[in-house]
Amino acid sequence: MRSYWFGDMDNGVCTPCPGDLPLRAGRVATIHTRLEDFVPLSWEDAVSCGICTTRAEYIAALREVCFFAAEQEIRERYAGKDAELLQMVRTLDEMDTVINLLSERVVEWHQVRHPTFSRKYRKTPAHVMIKTIAMKGRGALGRTASQVEQLSVARTDLAREVSDRANRVMPNTSALIGGLVAARLMAIAGGLLPLSRLPASVIQVLGARTAIFAHLRTKSPSPKHGIIFQHRRVHNAPREVRGKVARVLAGKLAIAAKLDYFRGVAVPEFLETAQARIDATGAGTTPKEQP
Amino acid sequence: MIRIGDVLVSRGEGGVYGERTLAGARVWDPYRSKLAALYYVGTGVELTPEMRVLYLGAANGTTVSHVADYTEVVYSVEFAPHPMQDLLEVARRRRNIVPIMADACRPELYAPLVEAVDLLYQDVAQPDQADIAIRNCVFLKNGGTLVLMLKTRSVDVRKEPGEVFQDTVAALEAAGLQIREQVWLVPYHQDHAAIVCTKPGPVYLKGGTCNE
Repeated sequence: MRSYWFGDMDNGVCTPCPGDLPLRAGRVATIHTRLEDFVPLSWEDAVSCGICTTRAEYIAALREVCFFAAEQEIRERYAGKDAELLQMVRTLDEMDTVINLLSERVVEWHQVRHPTFSRKYRKTPAHVMIKTIAMKGRGALGRTASQVEQLSVARTDLAREVSDRANRVMPNTSALIGGLVAARLMAIAGGLLPLSRLPASVIQVLGARTAIFAHLRTKSPSPKHGIIFQHRRVHNAPREVRGKVARVLAGKLAIAAKLDYFRGVAVPEFLETAQARIDATGAGTTPKEQP
Repeated sequence: MIRIGDVLVSRGEGGVYGERTLAGARVWDPYRSKLAALYYVGTGVELTPEMRVLYLGAANGTTVSHVADYTEVVYSVEFAPHPMQDLLEVARRRRNIVPIMADACRPELYAPLVEAVDLLYQDVAQPDQADIAIRNCVFLKNGGTLVLMLKTRSVDVRKEPGEVFQDTVAALEAAGLQIREQVWLVPYHQDHAAIVCTKPGPVYLKGGTCNE
């Protein structure tokens, strides 16, 4: 017997499958085809099945099934809680780039209008600078500056949302390195499932693409950390143990990502021992890990 | 293939991706489509109105729309949800496109949907392109044509493109395919090559496995 989307063929006799669209699409997903002795379907069989009478009808009926299945599949793929978080993180990172670029440009523009202006010996942070320009700048300069200001506000809101959502979607990973960095790791990996499948050594250097390829190609030293450097326990660690902290942290993150994907809830027992181990590594007093 | 002067075109409803039109026909840009590039640098395969095509790696449906202009039916396989949304939109307007959301590495999952085809076209960014093509040859009629667009940089960035090209050709030959044409797609696409084969009889994958 051979099973096709329109029914089962047994020695030229066809048993059609029910005409209901969800049923038909669902059935296709359950058919197990062996490719070793596979014979492609011929559309005339569908006619003998009573599915259709002409070639055009055959294609139309098949298309209905395929559209239904594809739309359903897309919906399922987007239903994962990480799909939107991924877009949010990428938006956040792009906003940062845009805000930085525009702020710099606006300040330079302002400098041209005020020949005596210099930022030397002033401790004016960029956002305060932008605020003054937004208030005092005439015409398009002022308007651009206030747009940058508004964008910064939106950016702050978004960062908070990313962090909150990451805490919910990936509670274990977020507990170890904070929501923002956790979300960034996920975004670089391309999703929670891909992240959960990565080995610790890869997580350690995620985001250090240039350095790792330079290392593979030339004799430059391997990167000790990628995006996880943004976490305070890595960048605050003394230089000589920084690589070690990154390694231990990455090891725990690999476990945390798996917990997040497969369980989806925080696991206090794991977090407790993991935090202790990372802290101890940072302090330079690594205890023997409990089995 | 239809050409107006030197320009490759296809006849069908325009405006799919903002393509130019020339005397009412849709210009098929070799810089955007690797298949179009093949028609500029080599011979490729003549697309005919009765042809049935299996297209692996349909992406956003740009090239698919042109292929559909020429042929009877195009079974278009794409895995990623984002481009699939575009492909579905293109397929809604072109009634001879059958959109299939599936992984080209796993033909057994879409086998119940696809009939025997005259042309197997493959343009996927995967490291095991030859294996994927060979596995999908079950859908190809004897005497049918396989067109494989080899993205050498997706196969292995650290290998020389020429080496990847030779390995792939050797793998296809070992499986029982006859190589008709093998060309680089320069100047239109860098490090991309096209391999055109005929399937003389059954094609077998020897000991290879397809990655997930």
